[in-house]
This record gives sequence, structure tokens and C-alpha cells, in this order.
Amino acid sequence: MTSDIFFNARRAGRTVLDEPGAKRVLAAYGLSVPRGVIVAPGARPELDGLSGPLAAKMISPDASHKSDVGGVRLGLADAASATAAVREMEALARALELRLDGVLVEEMSPAGVELVIGGVIDARFGPVVMLGLGGVFVEIFGDTAFRVCPIDRIDAREMIDELRGAPLLRGARGRKPVDEARIVAALLAVGGEGGLLVELEGEIAELDINPLIVSEGSALACDARIVLAERKTAGE
Amino acid sequence: MSDAYARYGPIFRPRVLAIVGASASGVTPGNEFIRHSRAMGFDGRLVPIHPSAATIEGLPVARSFAEVGETVDFAYIAVAAQRVPDVIASAAGRVRFAQVMSSGFGEVAQGRALETRLAEAARGAGVRVIGPNCLGVYSPRGRMSFIGGATGEAGSVGVITQSGGLGVDIILRGERRGLRYSGLVTLGNSVDVGPAELVEYFLADPDTRVIGIYAEDIKDGRAFFRVLREARGAKPVVVLLGGQTRQGRLAAASHTGSLASGAEIWRGLARQTGVAIVCSLDEFLDVLLAFQTLVPHRRRPTRRCVLFGNGGGTSVLAADAFGRRGLEVAPMPSPAIDALAALGLPPGTSIVNPIDAPAYTLRHDEGRIAERILDIALQHGEPDAVVMHINLPVFIGSADQRVDVLGNLVDAAMRVRAKHPGQAHFALVLRSDGAEASERRRRDFRNNAVRQGIPVYDEMTNAADALAGVAFFEAYLAARSA
Repeated sequence: MTSDIFFNARRAGRTVLDEPGAKRVLAAYGLSVPRGVIVAPGARPELDGLSGPLAAKMISPDASHKSDVGGVRLGLADAASATAAVREMEALARALELRLDGVLVEEMSPAGVELVIGGVIDARFGPVVMLGLGGVFVEIFGDTAFRVCPIDRIDAREMIDELRGAPLLRGARGRKPVDEARIVAALLAVGGEGGLLVELEGEIAELDINPLIVSEGSALACDARIVLAERKTAGE
Repeated sequence: MSDAYARYGPIFRPRVLAIVGASASGVTPGNEFIRHSRAMGFDGRLVPIHPSAATIEGLPVARSFAEVGETVDFAYIAVAAQRVPDVIASAAGRVRFAQVMSSGFGEVAQGRALETRLAEAARGAGVRVIGPNCLGVYSPRGRMSFIGGATGEAGSVGVITQSGGLGVDIILRGERRGLRYSGLVTLGNSVDVGPAELVEYFLADPDTRVIGIYAEDIKDGRAFFRVLREARGAKPVVVLLGGQTRQGRLAAASHTGSLASGAEIWRGLARQTGVAIVCSLDEFLDVLLAFQTLVPHRRRPTRRCVLFGNGGGTSVLAADAFGRRGLEVAPMPSPAIDALAALGLPPGTSIVNPIDAPAYTLRHDEGRIAERILDIALQHGEPDAVVMHINLPVFIGSADQRVDVLGNLVDAAMRVRAKHPGQAHFALVLRSDGAEASERRRRDFRNNAVRQGIPVYDEMTNAADALAGVAFFEAYLAARSA
């Protein structure tokens, strides 16, 4: 069901799936992603179905870390300001001479706890899934838990327990406790039996969902990156 | 599972054992293998293979595998590396398992191509190869050994090691600590038979109770994970992991010819399978000894420990060591404290936990006081584990030698443990100053106690490491059986 995404990306000589492609893969494996539309370069944005606040993100093979080039605008109140952001981004791409595939306009997740779910295909152990607390926790403190796939429900719960920052998920410092079942479900969708990493072992090399925002009503994969596995011959 | 027991059985219980590379005049590793196996009482057929010698080690020689006249269960090959692929090719249809002890393969840059040739020769010949770059197999029940000085006594600890030299340490030092092996295989570069397959064997082997693995690089990591995952804690497994730091990995690269996997992945795998990971030889042996002697609690993981013995500072440091390993040394419930108080022990005795009883307290009633204290701790203290520690030289050097207080103390420990079976783990720490008199007594006590199912450790830190390993496995069992 996702094979066309990988086939097309490889045919286009890509080594990384663009954000919409990565999110289609996530959605196919049962992860929730924000509602959004892709605005083709120069096309009129059809944003009627989306409710603000919105985010606009540049889709360019030359800017896989899009925020580095100013390719991300957040907190756009309505369709009109999102449309304006789309036009600005098109201008930005021209100015920086970046190839532009389009602009992704998405609903923003309600505020919540930011987590990171990652995956890598280890040369020895095969697919390995990682859970981390987002932002500084993962980057500076390396607060992560790894498991070999496939994981089960107990593994997923133990991964949450293992984070030093786990109390932050459970209501420390006056926060509202998050619904851990949503984190477990996301971990199983990525690293469980029949999950993304196990099923796509030959297609992908690395996966990053950063952030997965877990709020009261949802757990949304707000940004995602999938690095394709190297292949001897494309489309094999 | 019993499939694996039959499939790999010839490695441990060969009926026909061939040696390639033994000398008619000198003492090569091949000769060592013959001599040590005969000393162990090997009672199958032992055939040296040699192109010209008439006899080797007094045994009739065959010129080739073909000349043996029957299938060789296990061939020990110790010839120059370049010759090995041809020897393996000549084993086609005639040899089940061949252990290649020769070095000069993938562990050195110029041997990589030769290792590939060896692997191809093995596949082509249909011979399962163990090694190369290893030392041998130690199998007390099969009565074979690649080293001298081992007890040869059969036990319940199965070991797989990717380093041969460390295998020697594990056998000799381990046996001195009371470990007894069901088998030990040195795997070296693991060009064919890998750790996962031998884990399957030891899981299926009815004589094996605990499995120990020294791992630098598990090439078949996926299969290794799957086997352990499917076992679901059927037997405890302890992994001594090498190459977990950058410099350790570099050493491992020159050692087994490949890189070790990340520490984070191993930590995750441990949680998923209940495998206890340790990082020193001593800790490895200490945890194995605990699993050899103690029966894991399946529903109530070990947490609450009662420590009892002489030495105030020792008790404090021990409480710290246990705390660092996640083991609780907390005051006992009041019925226990009341009962201990009622014994009227001399001042200077602390009865809360740790129970710190100076030597003059332990001398009370010629040492039999220990039995009453331990009785109370077990009956009313609700411990998951009790550790009794004795500083041997304090008693050995005492001016009062009218009675064998030490003997009485250790006897008390054994009697109490027998009286409360299955209730709490019981471990003994016998602390020595290294003087011959202390060492001798410790050796005697250790042999006796371990035989009766009490692990004996040198220091409280060793006991803490060992019980932490047991607790980790028990926590896995409890989480998965809920």
C-alpha cells in the first residue's frame, strides 16, 4: 500500500521521503497525522476544510531540514494568512534557488507533550525502535529508550517507564497527565508486530517522528522524516 | 526445542572424536585436547588424523577422515590456517561438527579472504564449523576438555564464549567459586555456528539451568533476539558484554574481526528478554553462581534484603552497595525487631537492618546465636533475600579457640536455610584478609555451602551484583506473567 511512495521517490533519485510522503506512510500504518493539503507551486490554496491555527511548510528536496532555511511558518490564524505564507514561501524558494515541490498546509496540533519516536535498521539486530522525550531532553540529555522490533504492549509501556522524564508525562510540576495508551499505540504502530519498521525493513534505513505531540485528545505525528534504504538496483 | 538438543549434541557428547594437528613428537593444542579429554575419562573413540605418524599419544592414527571408517561426530582442527579450508573440504559427508582452533582468519586483515574460503568450504562440504580462532569445548558429561586443571565435575551452567582465553578463566576461576558446567563452547569468529544456535541447545538441554554468554559481536543478532524472545525467560541468561566503549570496540575489532552493537540496543534487548547484562568477568561468575544455586521467584521480584553479620562499616558500605543496585535494605517490620530485642543481645549490636552483630555477639552460645537471629529475620522480617556476612580473620585470629565458632556460624546458616525452604534467597559472604588460614577455611566452607545451594561470595558488593542480576530476571518474569 505504500510501495508506490517508495518506488516514485527512488525513481526521482531521492534518498529521503518528503514530509507528505513520510506522513502518508505513517498514516498507512495507523499513526495519526495532522489534517492538511499540499499546495502545488503557483496553485490556488484550497484551505476551506482546514481550521486554524495552521502551519505552512516548504516541500523541497533541497531543504530536508526545512526550518534551517526558513521553510516553516507556524501559528497561522486562518486560511487567508496561510495563503499569504504559501506565497511568501514560493518567493523564498525562488530567492534561494531551491527546487519547490509545493507547500504543505496543516492544522496544528493542540498543545501537549512532545515526544520523539525513531527507528533504525541495525546491521545486527534489524529494526530497532526508539522513544525519547522531545526537545532538549532528547538532544541534550539523551533521554531515550530503545527496543528491538517487534515490540509488544509490555515493551512499549516499559519504554515509557524507562525515560527519566517519565514523571513529566504523569503529571509532574502541575502538568496534566497524558494518555499513555496513545503513546503505546503509536509505538506499536511503528515498532510492533506488523508495524511500520518490521514491514518496511527493506525500504527504509531510518525513521524520525519529531515531534509526536501527545495532547488530551490526540497523538499527532507533526513532522516526520524517512531515510530510504540504500539499494543495489532501484525498484528491486 | 528437543530438536536443538539432538542437533548440537555431537558437540558436547561425541562418540567419535577426531583430532587433526596433533603431533607424534611434540605437544600441540591437538595433543592437549587428546590428553585432557583422556584425563577426563573420554570413553568414545578418539582418532588422531595424521599423514605419516604410526601412533599419536599411543592411539592408532588414521590418514584421513575417509580412513576413520565411520562418521566423525566432532573434529578438532589445529593446523596452519592456510590448510584448514582443504581439511574441511575433505570432511564432506564424514564429519558432523568441526571446531577450528587455528587463528589467522577474519581477526586479522590479511586473514579475511581465508575466512571467506573457510565459510565456503564448510557450506560446500555440509560440515558445521565452530570457530575459527577459538580454543575448544569443555563438556564434563561428554568427558572432553581443551584445558587441564578443571574439576571435570558436571553441573548446570552452560557457557558460550566468543573468546577462548576468557573461556579458560570462566572454567578455572568459575569452578573455584563453586560453578559447575554443563558445557562450555568457545566460538571465536563464529564463521558458521553462532551464539543463537547454542543458546537453543542449552535451552533444550535438561542438564542446563542457566546460560552464560560472553559476547563481543553477535553477527546473527536477529536470530539471537528471536530465540531469547521466544524462550520467554524459560532459563536465566547472563551476558557478559565486551566492546561497549569506543576503545573496547577497537579492541574487539582486532579481536573478533567486527564491531559490537550499541549499548542502548543491548539494554533494550535485556528488558525484552530478561537477559541480565554484566560488564566484568567477576560479576558474570557471581551472577551465574546465584542462578546455579537459587530458585528465582516468579511472582515477587527480589527487593527487600536483610543483611546480617559482623562489621559496622561493612554493614554501612553494604547497605550503600545494595542501594546502588536497586536492592532495599530497610528496617524490618516491628515483630522482627521485637523478637530480636527479646534475645537480649549485647550492647553494640544493631538489630534494625542491617543487623550488625560484632564478633563478641556472634560468639554468644558458641556461634549458635546466629541461628536464632536468622530464624527471626526469616520468620518475621519478610525478606526476599538474606545475606549473612562473616569476617573470617576476626575469628581465626581470636585468642579464644576452644570451640569452632566459625564452623558453628556457617552450620547455623545452612540449617536455617534448610528450615525455611523457598522463602527467601540466602547468600553467604565470607570475607578474608588473604592469609592462608582464612583462604583455606573459606575454600572449605564454600565447597560445602555451594553444594547445599548457598552461593558464597567474597564481598558484599559481589553479593549485591549477584542478587541484582537475579532480581532483574525475576522482574522480567513477574512483568510477563501478570
